[in-house]
Amino acid sequence: MSVLGRFGGSALVWAAASAVVITGALWPAQAQDQKVKVALVAPISGPMARAGELMRIGAELAIEDINAQGGIKALGGRQMELVVEDAGDKVETAKNAAQRLVANHSDLVAGTGSWSSSLTLAVTEVTERASLPWVTLSYADQITDRGFKYVVQTVPVASQLALDSMPTVLEMAEKVGGKELTSVAILSDSTAASQAFVKPLREGGFEKLGVKVVVDEVFTPPLNDATTLVQQLRSAKPDFMLFYSTSFPDAKLVLSKMNEFGLGKGKLPTVSVGVQLVSPEMLAAVGGELLEGLMVVAPNWTTKAQADILPELTKRSGEPWLGQDTISTYGDMWLIKDAIERAGSADHEPVMAALREMDRTDGPADYYLGDRLAFDENGRRVGGAVGIVQWQGGMPYLIWPTKDALKEPLWPSN
Amino acid sequence: MLAALPSLETILQTIAAGLLVGSTYGLMCVALGLIFGIMRLINFAQGDFLMAGMYFASIVLTTLGLSGLIGGIPALVVAVLLAIPLFMLVGVALHWTLLGRIGRASQAMTEGELHQTQLIMTLGISLILANGALMVFGSTPVSLDTPLSTQAWVLDPFGEGEILVFLNKGRVAAAAVAVAATAGLYLLLNRTSLGRRLRAAADNPLAATYMGIDVTASHRITFGLGFALTAVAGVMVATFYPFQPYVGIDFVIVMYAGVVLGGMGSIIGSFWGGLIIGLVQQLSTLVLPTQLQGTTVFLVFLLILLVGPQGLFGRSVERA
Repeated sequence: MSVLGRFGGSALVWAAASAVVITGALWPAQAQDQKVKVALVAPISGPMARAGELMRIGAELAIEDINAQGGIKALGGRQMELVVEDAGDKVETAKNAAQRLVANHSDLVAGTGSWSSSLTLAVTEVTERASLPWVTLSYADQITDRGFKYVVQTVPVASQLALDSMPTVLEMAEKVGGKELTSVAILSDSTAASQAFVKPLREGGFEKLGVKVVVDEVFTPPLNDATTLVQQLRSAKPDFMLFYSTSFPDAKLVLSKMNEFGLGKGKLPTVSVGVQLVSPEMLAAVGGELLEGLMVVAPNWTTKAQADILPELTKRSGEPWLGQDTISTYGDMWLIKDAIERAGSADHEPVMAALREMDRTDGPADYYLGDRLAFDENGRRVGGAVGIVQWQGGMPYLIWPTKDALKEPLWPSN
Repeated sequence: MLAALPSLETILQTIAAGLLVGSTYGLMCVALGLIFGIMRLINFAQGDFLMAGMYFASIVLTTLGLSGLIGGIPALVVAVLLAIPLFMLVGVALHWTLLGRIGRASQAMTEGELHQTQLIMTLGISLILANGALMVFGSTPVSLDTPLSTQAWVLDPFGEGEILVFLNKGRVAAAAVAVAATAGLYLLLNRTSLGRRLRAAADNPLAATYMGIDVTASHRITFGLGFALTAVAGVMVATFYPFQPYVGIDFVIVMYAGVVLGGMGSIIGSFWGGLIIGLVQQLSTLVLPTQLQGTTVFLVFLLILLVGPQGLFGRSVERA
């Protein structure tokens, strides 16, 4: 009482005033320190863990680069922070990961993931309810068929990939190899992804292109031996083969058997689907000689547009080369950053609106194939293109579309 | 929908593939048949024993670099020769520490109760082996890059160069090892005193005990032999088949189907069972879509159960 009595009310006034001044001075700094959280939900464990690891590398590299370049300028240079959740290998584990994410991080701004379309379908069920803007590389048509408002696909959908990729292959064979392709053998496994790709081609797609299907074999993974399949290729002598295997061991068995039967090393031009066929693991298992000339349809890959940053990015990644999963996730972070800059806010609604209104030919568009980076009313990619990657000299290079390609295509001779 | 009429070359190629694939299945079935035939043990970990053999081949050939030092084929021979005593010892140790202790805890235990405990124990071993391999080796599939896996001997049966039959060198080597190992086991069981003791322990454990045969030791040796033979099959399969920690499950159904077809308890019958399963699996593609190739194994399995549950070489009467 004596203290109060001596200094009276003036001491309290001074203390309160000082507190206001100090708090006021600290407030902008605290706001700037508050990081902009973005999420990656990817398979970090289980059989798809390698793909998730490659995505994480891409996301971490992008966050490092964005922060090193001053963070998000529209928000006073706030830094970005990555939150990673393990999607596992099942729909249930992916859904749980998304639920954990939205429950534990209410300040999340946006996210990306989750590699496999089935996992992405589950994750986006949760993120949609949380109104969390979501960017995905997964290309199943269903992802943007459900009328969801908070998801965009950065690559063309599966049905479009199938119907667009084969005319590209025929055009390439004619331009580069001087050969008109008239017959094809289709080898595909019985998984949903393979059959979704092959079905429109089998049911009239190839016929419209003037290509006769001479072998159409579906096998159930795992294959124990590929002799009978490859013997059919030997007997039918098609101009080229469309091979879709979602399983690495099955792909290895077929490619090894083709070599054994004298159809390998480009003797039977082979177009495949799935980035596991252009992975370092595939090179280690099969060897560069056997893979030479193999073409793989890829929704995204490293392009000429990234030529300046690619050597340094690759070095920092610790990977022998950067493929679809890493470069797409790297781009996704820049895409989200761009949306936040244009929205001038870290709130879900304005960020999602900025994503939907995106129409760029530079900046984040450089990390995806195609002329334009835009999205339609369903969140599907507009201006995307189908990429074809080819093994040349033990390395996979983008060879098509030619304007983005890092190497000239080689059409293997029969 | 039935496939179009196949050419002679396709038929010959398919028969060759069936024989080669079937021989390897035969060895796997022999190992399972040996364990069941002598111990009456339902071994759910058999597929994981195969996986262990595959990773052993990877360690010897690639991790230790033996393939680069002495060449792929000699390294493979070394791997097979090392696998036999090593996995025999592991099998004996497993039996000594785990399986041998869950036998008849009391004489009142019924055959069914005994099978249940064995089944749960082998299931546990299977889970530990598969998940242990996942922790140690990771989930990325491994593929051994040996000269055998992608090269073939080309046969020209009519000498005109029009019909060619390709025989994968890795598959031929695996088939040769399978036949040799099965023949060796047959001689061991039928021409040696150890074999007589093992058969006696299988036929009538009580009478064998009265005759001074240590039935538990016989079972221990049998389990070790079964593990070693499965691991040898794993080493050979690894030369042409990519693998990961859960690869065993791909082969377990085939093993059981082969053993049932050959006749439960008949060791040589198990080899023929495996061989027939391989042939059926491959030949089915001549008349059925390839997608149904795996289904034919189940069809054979069901047919045996319906028509002749005792199998080709099995006993139609209960053991004494």
